[in-house]
Parts: sequence; structure tokens; C-alpha cells
Amino acid sequence: MASNSIDEKGNHGVTTLLRRLAIYLFTAWTTITVNFVLPRLMPGDPIQQLIGKLQGRVTPEMIAAIKAQFGQGLNQSMWTQYVHYLTQLLHGDLGVSITLSSPVSDVLSSQIWWTVGLIGVGAVVSFFIGTALGVFFGWTRGSRADVVIPAATFLQSVPYYFLGTILIMIFAATLHWFPLMGAYDPTLSPEWSWTYIASVLRYGELPLASIVLSSLAGWMLGMRNMMVTTMSEDFVLMAVAKGLSRRRVMWHAARNAVLPSVANLALTIGLLVSGSLLVEQIFNYPGVGNLLVNAVGNEDYPLLQGIFLLITFTVLGANFLADALYYVLDPRTRTAAVH
Amino acid sequence: MSLTDANLVLHVSNFSVDYGYADEAIRAVTDVSFSLGRSRVLGVAGESGSGKSTLVYGLTRLLRAPGVITAGDVRLRLSGAREGEIIDLLAATEDDLRAIRWSEISIVMQSALNALNPLHKIGKEFDEVLRVHDGRLSKSQRRQRAEELLALVGLQPDRLQRYPHELSGGQRQRVMIALALALRPQLVIMDEPTTALDVVTQREIVSELHELRERLGFALIFITHDLSLLVELADEIMVMYAGRIVERAPALDLYRAPRHPYTLGLMESFPPLSGERVAMTGIPGSPPNLKTPPAGCPFHPRCAYAHDRCRNEMPPLNDIEDGGRSVACWLHDPASPVEVPVSLSRRGDTTPGGVK
Repeated sequence: MASNSIDEKGNHGVTTLLRRLAIYLFTAWTTITVNFVLPRLMPGDPIQQLIGKLQGRVTPEMIAAIKAQFGQGLNQSMWTQYVHYLTQLLHGDLGVSITLSSPVSDVLSSQIWWTVGLIGVGAVVSFFIGTALGVFFGWTRGSRADVVIPAATFLQSVPYYFLGTILIMIFAATLHWFPLMGAYDPTLSPEWSWTYIASVLRYGELPLASIVLSSLAGWMLGMRNMMVTTMSEDFVLMAVAKGLSRRRVMWHAARNAVLPSVANLALTIGLLVSGSLLVEQIFNYPGVGNLLVNAVGNEDYPLLQGIFLLITFTVLGANFLADALYYVLDPRTRTAAVH
Repeated sequence: MSLTDANLVLHVSNFSVDYGYADEAIRAVTDVSFSLGRSRVLGVAGESGSGKSTLVYGLTRLLRAPGVITAGDVRLRLSGAREGEIIDLLAATEDDLRAIRWSEISIVMQSALNALNPLHKIGKEFDEVLRVHDGRLSKSQRRQRAEELLALVGLQPDRLQRYPHELSGGQRQRVMIALALALRPQLVIMDEPTTALDVVTQREIVSELHELRERLGFALIFITHDLSLLVELADEIMVMYAGRIVERAPALDLYRAPRHPYTLGLMESFPPLSGERVAMTGIPGSPPNLKTPPAGCPFHPRCAYAHDRCRNEMPPLNDIEDGGRSVACWLHDPASPVEVPVSLSRRGDTTPGGVK
């Protein structure tokens, strides 16, 4: 083995990561292009249809914006339009929402924080609690603690909309422990005040609990199973033979067992936007999921396209994050096969 | 009663291990007794499933479920600061065990790739055992000690920066051996440490082990199914079959003049490392199903010399030839109706099979 081989191998790992990045960039470009082409291929006259839908509440600027979105009335070649579209996109210009009469980028940036705050925090919280429980129940496998397994399997199989509705019925509608719907007290206006922030936290409790409750079992079972598999590995027996403390032995196993879960967490974050759909509908919570449902209902194409691009980019970004995390956490991914 | 002799490190009596419980139980190790002297090398040989690994993992209390120790007594004489103290391994608590693990008994497993944590650099493996067992060592002292240990097995200090998967099989196993010697234990157990390696590396490691043992004086239990390898390293060899010791003798005596038909079969399964080519015959049949072991001697269905008594009565492990060795075989019973064949009765100073 050459003495400088570690550097070569290290570089090889970075190369792999860069190659993945290139693939993701290509995928992003493809999505953007499809996003550009699709409305231009639509049959009939979607513009007239849309303008008709707005029933007179339409300004000449809006008509121009809609036409621009569909590439009509500008007498430009497809290529010029495409370059124009890409330039706009690079400047964060996603067009104008038809129903909300404001730029799609403004609409999205005002709503995305609700989604990140609720769904993102929910995913991270349930990951940490579920994984910790998984380590514990994996470690105590074969003991009486195993009774939680059927319960967890049951919880995992309950559909989210059912769980969410039941929680609202019991804890909000009947017991009045939590507010029924919304993201904050409707009598307050959004501002940076303690009352407002406290209200947001208060209104977030039940939706957050529902998310954690529904995804906790999945993390727990996944981690437990990995833990049980890892604990039969020789290096865990070795850790015992070395006279390490129980906690250290558990750490040896858990650190190895957590790798698939970490990759899954990154992928789950990629599903943030689409995952927000049900939660935001059930709790009548603001956010991108709610926006998406409304955009579909109103055939608000510019908004829809914007949301689709957002979904694509979060999924791609999260995939790349998963690759990068694995690269950091598992030295075996950093090197090419040696033998 | 046991371990009164100050020259003994380990004394095992009537040790048995089951897999599973009650009706489901399978007896993997039955009634094994032996003792190991200070700085001595005991070889344990047998086919896969003969119980040799189960025996040592049982003795060191590293057996995983569903393995259960059902009988026996195991005593270990401690060294170093606790010199003279004798510990009952089967009665020891988790804390007692933790204190003697690695500092008194260390283990080298068959697959170093699996035994090393894939996420840890080699240096961290050394650092961890040194730190856990000796809090007085500073970080740089631990590092220096790790480099010394690697040098002991002929590895460059830069290997400390590598991950297990970046090393070759031979390097990994050398790392394991260096790691096992980190705390200067008085007993090292090696469970088929060379089986996964090519023959050349095997030989290198065995001769290195020989040297290390001379220098450091630890006692060694070396498990393998390769008798020819064992004869170079071991002072004494135990041959196991179906969870029992079937023959025990000084290494050279056993190799030159086996007394149990199974030992003879094992020897004919491996080519000698030097000398003329000889025909490999192997042992016909396969090891018994331990769930339904045959009546009498467990080896009788595969034995060329089996007679009626073998099919009905279990032969005890009896001393033969003035107590220098022992064998569990009815052939060597004075009342045996079958004459002991030449291959199982020749004298130890002859040279069979081209061995010099």
C-alpha cells in the first residue's frame, strides 16, 4: 500500500460527492425546463379559462403576467422565452400568483416558515426522541420492555389524518386543552411581541404533538432493529471483552446503528413540503401545504409551478445533504474499495 | 481445591454450556476440565461446531444468548497489582469482570474486520482500552504506547491514522494482536486468528506470535482446526469433538502419535507444512447433530474402529501412558476386544507423514 494512498482515497471521496452534486444540478435543470415547457404545451386556451375564473377581478397587468407565464402575446421565440425564464428564476422571480395577485416568491417566502417551523421541527423532534427510544429498546431486547413493540407497530400503522382528527376531537373539541385550529390567536396581529410568540407556540402544541406521535414509532422501530442487528456484530462483543462500561458498549453499537436513520432523516426533510399537506389541512394551519391545496383548487398555475419547484429543490437538497452526512459519518464511504 | 498450584493461571472443571433452555436446549460443551500453566500455550483443535469457541467464550463470560453455562467451575489467578488473588469467573459480578477484562484476559477474534469498530481509526481502539483501564496515562503517553504496540507486530505508526477497511487482512489481524497485548494480560485467547488469512500470512503471524510469547510470557489459548499450525505454537493440544475433549497430549506427541481416531482423521485433513506430499483423506461423514447425539461415543458413526461398546457406552477421558496424555476412546481400554491399530499406537519419537 502506497504511503500517500490515504490522500488519493480522500480525494476520491470528494470526487464522488462532487459527481453526486453534478447529478443533482442536472436533475434540477431538467425540472426547471419541464416546468417551462409544460404550460406552453397545454391544449385549448388556458389563459382565457383563467381570466374567466377570476370573474372580472382582473387588471390589465395581471393579464399580461398570465400571458407571460404561458409564453403568449410576447411574440418571442421559444428560445428567447426560455433564456428569459431562466434569468427570471435566477433572480428569484417565479411569476405572479393569479389568485393572490402578488409575486409567487413573496407568497412562498411568507408561508414557508410556518411549514419549516411546524413540520421541520416535528421531524427533528420525533427523530431524536424515536432514535433514543430505539437505542434503549434495542439494548433491552428480549426483556419485558419488548411489550412496547406491538404498541409502536400499531401507532405506526394509524393513518395520519385519522390520528390528527382524533387528537383534535378529544383534546381540542372535547377537553378544550388546546386551541381547535389556526396558527395563532386570530385576535392578535402578527408582530414580534411576546404575546404573539406565546400564542404561536400554544397553537403549535397539538399539531406538533400529532406529528411527533405519528412518526415517532417509525424512528423507534427502525433504530431498534438496527440496534439489534448491530449488537450481534463482533465489534460490540469486543467492546464487552475490552472491559468497557455498559454505556460505552451501547455507544459503540448505537453510533453504528444510527447511520441509516440519519440518512432517512435527511430524506424525510426532503418530503417537508408534501408532508405538510395533511397536517396543515387538518389543523387549518398556514404553510406551503395549505397553499398547494388552494393553488390546485383555484388552478393558480404560477403558484403551483412555484411550489413544485420548491418541492423539487427541497428533495434534491435533502438528498445531497444525506450524501454529505453519510460522507462525514461513515469513513467507509470516503474511500474506494481497497481490495 | 482448585488452582492451588501457583504456576497455574487458569483452572476449569466440569464445564458445560447449553444453547437454549429446558427442552429446547442443545448441549454445546460437555464436562470439560483442564488447567493452563503460566506462560504456557494450549491449543484447542476440532471441526466447526465442536464447541471450541463456545468453550472459550463461556469461560470468559462473553457467551451471547441463548448460550447458558449449566455447570462447572472456572478460576483465574490474577497478576500485577492483584498478584496472588484468585477469582471465580462464573460467580464474578459484572463489575468484577469489567476490571479483569483485557487487563488479565484479552481476546483475538477470527475476523478482525468485524471485530474492529468500522467507524473508529485504529488509534482510537488503542486509546480507548488504555484510557479506560489506566486513567493515569496522558494522551501523548497513550499514543506512544500504541505506537510501541504496533511496532511489536511490525506495523508502522502511521497505521494508527487508518480505518480498519483501509488495512489488509494480515495488517488488521496484527492490529488485533497488538491490541490484545495492550495491557500486558497474562492470558490471551485467540479464536482462529489466522483462519481468514492466506497461508503465507498465516505462517508469518504464527512465527511472530511465537516470538512475542517468548518475550512477553503471556499464556495463550489458541483455537484452530489446523493441527499442523498448532504443533508449532502449542505446548499442549486438546482435541474437541461434539463438545467434549477426546484427546489431550503434549503438542509434539499428539502430532507424531495420535491416540484418538478423530485426531488421526483431523491430521490427515491437512497437508504438513514441510516434507513430502501425502494423500489427504479427511474424515468421512459429518459432525453429529447435537440435538440428537448418537448413543455411546459421539464419534462412533464416523469411526473405522468402532465396536459394540462404542455404540452403547460413552468413553471417559482416561489418562494413558503414565499420565502424560489422555484420550477418550475404548480402543485404549485394556479390555478392548479390538486391537489398537498401528496408526494409533506408534511411539511419539517416530516421524510419520513426512514430518521432520
